[in-house]
Amino acid sequence: MTYPTDEEHPLLVLEDYRIGFNTERGLAKAVDGVSLTLKRGQTLGIVGESGSGKTVLNRGVIGLLAARNTVESGSAKFEGEELVGENRQAFWGTKMAMIFQDPMTSLNPVMKVGNQVMEPLRQHQKLSKSEAKKRVADIFTLVGIPEPIKRLDQYPHELSGGMRQRVMISIALAIEPDLLIADEPTTSLDVTVQKYILDLLTRVQKEQGMSMVLITHDLGVARGRADEILVMYGGRVMEHAPTEDLFEKMSHPYTSALFSSIPHLHHKKHTRLTPIPGTPPDIVEPPTGCRFAPRCTYAQEICLLESPPMTQEGNHRYACFFPIGIQQGQEALTTNQQRGHTASGLQIQKKAEAI
Amino acid sequence: MRRAIKRLLGLGLLLTVISMVTFAAMNILGDPLFNILGPIAGDVDNPESVKIIEEAKEQYYLDKSLPERYARWAGDFVTGDFGVRFSATGQPPVTDLIKERFPRTLQLMIMAQLIAVGLAIPWAVTAASRANSKTDKTSTVTAFAFVSLPNFALAVILFYVFSIRLDWLPDVYTATDPFWGFTHNHRLIQNLLPALTLGLGGAAAYQRLLRTDLITTLQEDFILMARSKGVSRRKVLYKHALRPSLFSLITVLAINISYMIGGALVVETFFRIPGLGTAVVEAVLREDFPVVLAIVMIVATAFMVFNYLADLLYGVIDPRVRTNEKESTPIFRSLWKSQTNLEAEEKINDETVEVSS
Amino acid sequence: MTTHEEEIDYAPLLGSDDALAIGLAPKKKLGLGFWISAFWVVLITLLAVLAPILPIKDPSENYVVTEKAENLRGDLVEKPVQPPYSLSGKHLLGTDKDARDMLSRTIFGARISLAVGFITAILGLAIGGALGMLAGYFKGWLDKIISAFFLVSLSFPGLILAILVVSLLDRSLWTISITIGMLAIAPVGRLARAQTITFAEREFVIAAETLGAKRSRIILREMLPNVLIPMATLSMLVVAIAIVAEGALAFLGLSVQQTATWGKLILTGSDMNSLENAPWIAFGPIIFLFFTVAALNYMSDRLRDYFDVREIYDLSD
Repeated sequence: MTYPTDEEHPLLVLEDYRIGFNTERGLAKAVDGVSLTLKRGQTLGIVGESGSGKTVLNRGVIGLLAARNTVESGSAKFEGEELVGENRQAFWGTKMAMIFQDPMTSLNPVMKVGNQVMEPLRQHQKLSKSEAKKRVADIFTLVGIPEPIKRLDQYPHELSGGMRQRVMISIALAIEPDLLIADEPTTSLDVTVQKYILDLLTRVQKEQGMSMVLITHDLGVARGRADEILVMYGGRVMEHAPTEDLFEKMSHPYTSALFSSIPHLHHKKHTRLTPIPGTPPDIVEPPTGCRFAPRCTYAQEICLLESPPMTQEGNHRYACFFPIGIQQGQEALTTNQQRGHTASGLQIQKKAEAI
Repeated sequence: MRRAIKRLLGLGLLLTVISMVTFAAMNILGDPLFNILGPIAGDVDNPESVKIIEEAKEQYYLDKSLPERYARWAGDFVTGDFGVRFSATGQPPVTDLIKERFPRTLQLMIMAQLIAVGLAIPWAVTAASRANSKTDKTSTVTAFAFVSLPNFALAVILFYVFSIRLDWLPDVYTATDPFWGFTHNHRLIQNLLPALTLGLGGAAAYQRLLRTDLITTLQEDFILMARSKGVSRRKVLYKHALRPSLFSLITVLAINISYMIGGALVVETFFRIPGLGTAVVEAVLREDFPVVLAIVMIVATAFMVFNYLADLLYGVIDPRVRTNEKESTPIFRSLWKSQTNLEAEEKINDETVEVSS
Repeated sequence: MTTHEEEIDYAPLLGSDDALAIGLAPKKKLGLGFWISAFWVVLITLLAVLAPILPIKDPSENYVVTEKAENLRGDLVEKPVQPPYSLSGKHLLGTDKDARDMLSRTIFGARISLAVGFITAILGLAIGGALGMLAGYFKGWLDKIISAFFLVSLSFPGLILAILVVSLLDRSLWTISITIGMLAIAPVGRLARAQTITFAEREFVIAAETLGAKRSRIILREMLPNVLIPMATLSMLVVAIAIVAEGALAFLGLSVQQTATWGKLILTGSDMNSLENAPWIAFGPIIFLFFTVAALNYMSDRLRDYFDVREIYDLSD
């Protein structure tokens, strides 16, 4: 069953959403003015390196950041209700659910997994113990956990990594949330299990008509599973487009760099991966201009001085002065290759493959 | 299983060593005959005295060699007979004395531990859940103060405040009063001040430990997970966070037994409770060795038994200790860190990991 | 029902996510409290050492005060006032029942208490540290024997051992210090052993071994400095524990004869009558004792944090 996508009433709308942490050095701007819309029943992939603010963004929205030291501003509307400045506890375990990266550390090691899945059922849906048990056994079957009855009484350490992640998914499923946030759900798993878990997630998401935010550092993971992809860097949106569009026409140098830094099936043997030079920016004192400029092979003087505005092309938007695929971008790259370095002083080889 | 047996054998060996050392020290450094007979012991010219001396030597096995005496003592000890006291009459036998005194000390210890744990858990949970807030900082300072306040000083302060100034609690302990009841004529109430003295210090020590472990646990992902499931704050603290944070506390609870018994010496003496603590002080002063030896053995045994129980408790609390899996996530680093001496030593010594059932 | 304010403030229970705000750990400092504590310990030590030449009252002099009072016949005569006297400008901490000045008695009492503390710490550190390092470095049978010794000593009820030895031998400063010092060997030794084992596997020691350095040289030049830091943090704690242990012995009437110690002073002031009428006799020394023990504990705590010594030695009594 699928819900009709409701253009008028999207599930989640963020406008200029910001999260900062008070630190001894000043405010760390972890999320710096993000706007996005998530429709019902859709999957949004948020992609970025670690430190890009993707995790903070989602924990901020769900309200799981420590209130002390955290500054939240802008607007975040969930089902039309403003979240910023409000208490979100009522949504926990009912309308919002999360799946964390490492199922070993996110399951309580001293509680039977059955009880951990039953907990929200008993609490929010007021099921009796036997009803809850039956529900959980059903869900375990659904997510492909063999011998579900026996598993109920096992502890997390008695299960394999893949099984644990299935338990995590069961928790999210049991809640039947409107919004499921999956934060790197497969990073800690075996490659062979990764695909199974991702497919399972996508399947149940479609079946239950949930909206899902899939956080990952791997563009390949988001491809084929997300309806739209949002690329983040240094707390800002770099590029945002429907998945097909994005892969057809990567505009932001960062997206492209991210894509080249991970292996792909269609690569020939011994294809050299291109790591992105440099490290993520300091979010307490971020560089002026484009956040990515110091690491960007396209960077020109203006990139260091001014923040590039968001360019909207239909459903596709990006924040770059010299996007790939248009003339300015190509010229910028050629200029940098000719002088051997970018405007920020980053050395590039003349014959470097244009990324 | 093999490990458990090995451990038990180790404990037995340890007790034997302790009893030998104590037995030898007391008999070599002290003068048992003099303690029994008094000045007559030195009167070897008077035939009548000599006769008494000979009789006493025979009665107390003092004519035998030291190893033989130890063997006799040990043989009696394992059957529950703690021997004859080194006093003119030798009455009552040590076993009877212990039987009379032990329950009083036990009651005091149990009350003290209940106070300590009962205070420490909510105290630590409150502090840890608001780590670094004003509440937490105040409670840290308070705990620190109690840890730095010796038993005997705390006893004087509590006695002064609650017994003398406020006059809420009785200042005498009457061994013949019934235990259970809520008036000044019941030992439950008479025990309150001494138990508080031991318990407050313990509570502060436990709080410091448990707070640290709780803060570590509260940073775990599964706490965030529980929160995101909509589990209430209270339930997260007491149901999810507390149990995996108890390891150091349990270790210290067991080790603290011997510390508390040391405290009991002082506290029983100050509050005039005729328990094991006062018994051992009296016995030491009179060089009544069999009594001292018996109490030393009881304390050492209690210490080891509680350590053993603590080991079993780890298994109850952490299912992974039960199945003996060696996987350790951050949350249980505190466990490995604070395991008792025995555990740590075994781990470092034996490169080969023994797999018990 | 929880209040709104509470729910918001404690959404997650801790700043688990503060870790996400990268690299924000505050700089490590010993802090003002440490220096205040150090100041107090140095001050009280100086006072104790210099007590005989300081211009303070004689601790054994009876400062009886007289007042004019009518005798039975109605004449005004000088009559001694019944001590103890309360706190006054003349006697900052009051006097005891024999009209002796409590402040100077407390300062003189510090001499024994601190001496026991320091002698104990030196003994414990020297013997425990040496044994622990030998055990940790050579391992094998030597380690087994030494570890077994530590274990026996730890399983022994400490205070009972102390009163036993003290009553069998004598109650001199040295006997008491050595007895308490013996009790400190095992906990200190265990720490030294654990540290040595850790450091023995570090690169610089292995490098020295590979270069053919003598074992004695390795122990003294490479290991000792690294084991010393955690031991130093522990030593403060040992001094504090020893002072408390001596106090407990004194409280049981089993400490150094003749001279007053803090424990003894507290004992003499803690009978029913004194507490009711002259609580200052007990409370003066209690406050001195408390501040000294607290200062030592606090310094040890801070140093342990500062040097990141992870071993738990709260287990060591």
